[in-house]
Amino acid sequence: MSQYQNSSNRATHDINHSRFLVDGRGLSKVFGTLTAVSPLDIAIKAGERVALVGPSGSGKSTILYILAGLIPPDSGDLFLDSKSTVGLQPGRELSESVGLIRQQLDLVPQLPVVQNVLAGRLGKWGLLRSLVSLFSARERDSVLATLSKLGIADKIDEPTSQLSGGEQQRVAIARLMLQAPKIILADEPVSSLDPARADEILRLLTGLADDIGGVMVASLHAPDLIREHFTRVIGLREGVLQFDIPSEELMPSVLEALYDLDQQPIPIS
Amino acid sequence: MTWTNSPFRSLDARRLLSLVLIGAFVWSLSSVDWRGGIVHTGGGDALKDFPLALFPPELSPGFLKLGLIASWQTVVHAVAGITLAIIIGLPLGIIASGSLGKPGRVRMLVAAVMRFILAFMRSIHELIWAVLFVAAFGLSSLAAVLAIAIPYAGILGRIYSELLNDVSEGPLDGLRSAGASPAGVLIYGRMPMVLTDLLSYGFYRFECAIRAAAIMSFVGIRGLGFEIQLSLHDLKFAEVWTLLLFLFGLVLLVDYWSTSVRRSLNS
Repeated sequence: MSQYQNSSNRATHDINHSRFLVDGRGLSKVFGTLTAVSPLDIAIKAGERVALVGPSGSGKSTILYILAGLIPPDSGDLFLDSKSTVGLQPGRELSESVGLIRQQLDLVPQLPVVQNVLAGRLGKWGLLRSLVSLFSARERDSVLATLSKLGIADKIDEPTSQLSGGEQQRVAIARLMLQAPKIILADEPVSSLDPARADEILRLLTGLADDIGGVMVASLHAPDLIREHFTRVIGLREGVLQFDIPSEELMPSVLEALYDLDQQPIPIS
Repeated sequence: MTWTNSPFRSLDARRLLSLVLIGAFVWSLSSVDWRGGIVHTGGGDALKDFPLALFPPELSPGFLKLGLIASWQTVVHAVAGITLAIIIGLPLGIIASGSLGKPGRVRMLVAAVMRFILAFMRSIHELIWAVLFVAAFGLSSLAAVLAIAIPYAGILGRIYSELLNDVSEGPLDGLRSAGASPAGVLIYGRMPMVLTDLLSYGFYRFECAIRAAAIMSFVGIRGLGFEIQLSLHDLKFAEVWTLLLFLFGLVLLVDYWSTSVRRSLNS
């Protein structure tokens, strides 16, 4: 693609796509007159941690939602874990491969914590089992073990709406842990957190990706967190790829230029 | 801008509608026979006697017992009617909300047909249903229960489908990306999110069902309204007041009960 200024993947892209857990080609999305994503190629191997950076409206969230199967791309092909996602509804088929955690956390406030965590199993459970579990929780032990790891085991039976923001974030991560998808997507997972908590949440998410042997793709802004927790950075502006570099090459000047309102050229060596 | 979408045109249409409605009202005044007086002969006395009969209402033990029995009949009809209405209305409302099945034309068509059926059920008043069912089953409780259940199921189904559709999408997306099917999204997302509202509205409708059950007397089914009608025919206004107080008490009781249930749900 002409937009590539630096693509470490271009050379390997035409090789058998099964090597990539995420393999999107020519993905694009237009909302009305707004081009959220210009045709974009994205390929991610197992073990990679990819940070998406860019100003608001650069298409980070749209890309994550396309990868999550929540919105269909206008064009392009998307293979997740070597399976084509064309025509797939979000649900059973996708949930083994891909899970999304959003800034808004997307928990059901009226349900107790245990049920919000068990929602991570809904892709594997049949309807009857799901219904029974709503009244008498199945796999309560594994929920308890997961919540213990996150330090909120004592909250298991509380209504989710009564938890603090930080606790709700752990519940959302616990749900993702029970779902155990190979591809973990996170939309602004740390944007409302203090540095210490942001560090811990990213540690939990990358730890989860490591356990499963999968990948993590997250949108965030803090360069120090990116260098510490991620292996690769993809920069976007107005839906167009600006750079795709190893995270250690992410210089402050690069980010400044990316977020610059006057859209100066980006100094990638 | 096309002519049909012009705001001027819709403004004109609204003015025209207002004029027609005002005109209809003025015309209706002319159809009243003012010369003979609005209140018919002896009606004035009745208007005066009725409020005075409240002091005191009929409080003889025999009549109070009759009032209690009539209240019980009314409550039984209302409870059975609203229960059946919820049992019918909830699944129909879920179908009409279009939240089950794969997104697409079939789902939209099924939902539209179901909304049409619900509209038909509630567009016929419970009294008309009562006339129909009395013709079919006689003056039985079954007729009263069905006459309440069917239009109320239509109303509940419509409101339930709207409530289920009006929940915030975020938590639903969360469930979808966790692998939940539309049915899973319904039972883990939509239902828990609107449960309190479903129950509140059910209770509100229960209150209406009590009044509806009382009115069933006008086609001859036993209950508070039946006794009210008998006492009215005999011009025993004190008895009418006693029975009205029973009805008032019933509505208050339901109101108190539903408030306490809703409070315990919300806490």
